[in-house]
Amino acid sequence: MPDTRRITGPEETQSPFAFCPQFLAQSAEAFSDGKRRDGRKAEADHRPVFLKAGLISQAKGSAFAELDKTKVVCAVYGPHEVARREDFSMQGQISCEVKFAPFSCRVRRQHVQDGREKDLSTQLLEALEPAVRLDSFPKSQVDVFVTVLENDGSALSAAITCASLALADAGIEMYDLVVACTARIHGTSILVDPSFSEENLKTVSGEKPGGQVTLGFMPSLRQVSALCYHGDTDLDVLSQATQRCQDTCHKLYQVVQDTLVKSVEQRMNNS
Amino acid sequence: MVDVNLSEAEKTFIVHGIQDNFREDGRSNEEYRQMDLETGLMSNTSGSARLRLANTEILVGVKAELEEPKPEKPDVGRLEFFVDCSANAAPEFEGRGGEELATEMMNLLYRAYSASTVLDVSSLCLQSGKLCWVLYVDVLLLECGGNLFDAASIAVKAALFNTKIPSVKVRQEEGEETELEVSDDPYDVRRLDVSAAPTVLTLSKIGHNHIVDASQKEEACCLARLMMAVTASGSVTATVKEGRGSLDPDSITEMMQVGKRVGKAVNEKLLETLKEEEQKGLKRKTVGFLR
Repeated sequence: MPDTRRITGPEETQSPFAFCPQFLAQSAEAFSDGKRRDGRKAEADHRPVFLKAGLISQAKGSAFAELDKTKVVCAVYGPHEVARREDFSMQGQISCEVKFAPFSCRVRRQHVQDGREKDLSTQLLEALEPAVRLDSFPKSQVDVFVTVLENDGSALSAAITCASLALADAGIEMYDLVVACTARIHGTSILVDPSFSEENLKTVSGEKPGGQVTLGFMPSLRQVSALCYHGDTDLDVLSQATQRCQDTCHKLYQVVQDTLVKSVEQRMNNS
Repeated sequence: MVDVNLSEAEKTFIVHGIQDNFREDGRSNEEYRQMDLETGLMSNTSGSARLRLANTEILVGVKAELEEPKPEKPDVGRLEFFVDCSANAAPEFEGRGGEELATEMMNLLYRAYSASTVLDVSSLCLQSGKLCWVLYVDVLLLECGGNLFDAASIAVKAALFNTKIPSVKVRQEEGEETELEVSDDPYDVRRLDVSAAPTVLTLSKIGHNHIVDASQKEEACCLARLMMAVTASGSVTATVKEGRGSLDPDSITEMMQVGKRVGKAVNEKLLETLKEEEQKGLKRKTVGFLR
C-alpha cells in the first residue's frame, strides 16, 4: 500500500515535455505538401465525427463525442431540487462542470478543477442556457458533467455539442440543439476544427497571432448561443472565421440529429 | 451580477427609450457616461489607477515582482490578473458571493491580454529560464454601477501605463551566481508600452437594439451581451458572449462593427488623457477614492 500521508516526491514537478524543444517551439507552417498537419486536405475540412447518445445507464441522459482523437463524454442528471437555494425562481438552473481527465493532455492534469476548466465550464453554460427551456423545470437544477478523455484540440466545441446531445437524450425540453465548431486563425488561413498541434502553431514574426474562435450555434433557429475568441486579429478576418464555423455547424447538425434519432429508436426497441 | 429589481413597466420604459435612441439618462445608444480617471494614487504599488464611471468605482494596483519564468515559456515575463469583488460594493458579494463575477472578469482580462502583440512581455524577461518580471494586476471593485467589465479593463490599461518597473541589471560571471544590480536612482525606471493594449467594450442587446456602457438598470433588461476587447489600432483581441439569451449572426456582425468603432475611440481618448495627466506631473491635484 503506498504511503499517501507523506509526500514522497518533490513538491513541485515538471513534465519532461516542458524541456523538450520540439514541443516547445512548434513550427509556424500550417500546411506541408498541401496538406494539414494531420493529413486533412482543406482549411474547411472537419475531422471525422463520431457521436453516440445514451451510454451511461445511471444518468438521465448521456453522450459521447469524438473528433478523431479528441474524445469527450457527458452525463446529465436531474432536474432535482437545488441544494442551498437562496431565492425563489420560476426559471430552472443549469450547472456545468468541465473536467479534463488527468491523462487527457500532454502534461498531467490535476484532479482539482483549475482556472482553464472553470473558464470552459462557464463557456459551456453560456452555450447551453439559451437553448434550454429553463421555465420547464422551475425551482430545480440540471447538472451537466463533461469529462474530456483525450484532448487533441477543439475540446470546447466537442464539449458543447456533446452536452447538448446529452441534454436532448435526457429529455430536457430544448428550443434547439447547440452545435459548436472551433476555428484557428493563423496568418491568412482559417483552419476549421484545429487539432492540438494546430492550436499551438507558432506565430510568424511580423504577423498578427490570429487566435482561436469557438462558435456555439443553434441551426434551426439561426441563433448564436456562444461566441468566444482570444488572439489578435482584424474584425473582417474574425467575421470570416465565425462564418466558416457557422457553415460547419450546419453540416454537423445533421449528424447530431441522426444520432439522437438512433438513440430514441434504440430506446423504443429495448422497452 | 448585481441585480436591481425592476417592474415590467420600468423595463418597457427603458426598452422603448433605447428604441428611440434616447436612453433614460439622456444618452444616445452609442454614448459613454462621464469617466473620471486618476493614476499613481497608491504609493506601495508599481502602478495604480482609479476609475469612476458614473457609479462604478474601480481601483487597480500593479505590483512587479521578480520570479522564475514558466518552464514552457522561458523567455517571457507575464501578467497575472486578480479581481476582488469586495462586499463593500454589494452585499451579494459577501463571502464567496462575488467569486463567480470575479472569475468571469479575470478570465476576460486573461483572454484580452493573451496575444503576444498586445504587450511586450519578452522585455520583462531578465534572464532566460531564470528570472523575469511578473506583473500582478489586482482589480478591486469598490462600487457597482453597471458596465463593470469595460471599467475594469480601462482601469487596468491605465494602471499598466502608470507602472514603473525599477531598472535592474543582471550580472553573471563565469562560475559565479547571478547578481542583481538595482539602480540607486528611484527615477531610473522602465515604463511599459501600452499603445497596443486593449480595452473591453460591452454591447448589450436590449429589445432589437444594442447599446454601449449599460447602466445597472439597463443591464437588468438585457438578455445577451457581447464583450469584445479592442485595441487602439482597431484589432480585436477577445470576444465573449454572455447572458441567457442568444444572438442572431447578423446582429453580431453589426454589434462587432459598433464595438470596433467605439472601442477604438475609447482607446484613443484614454491614451490622450493619460499622456495629458502625465505631463502635469506632480503639480496635479489628486482626488482620491469614492468621491
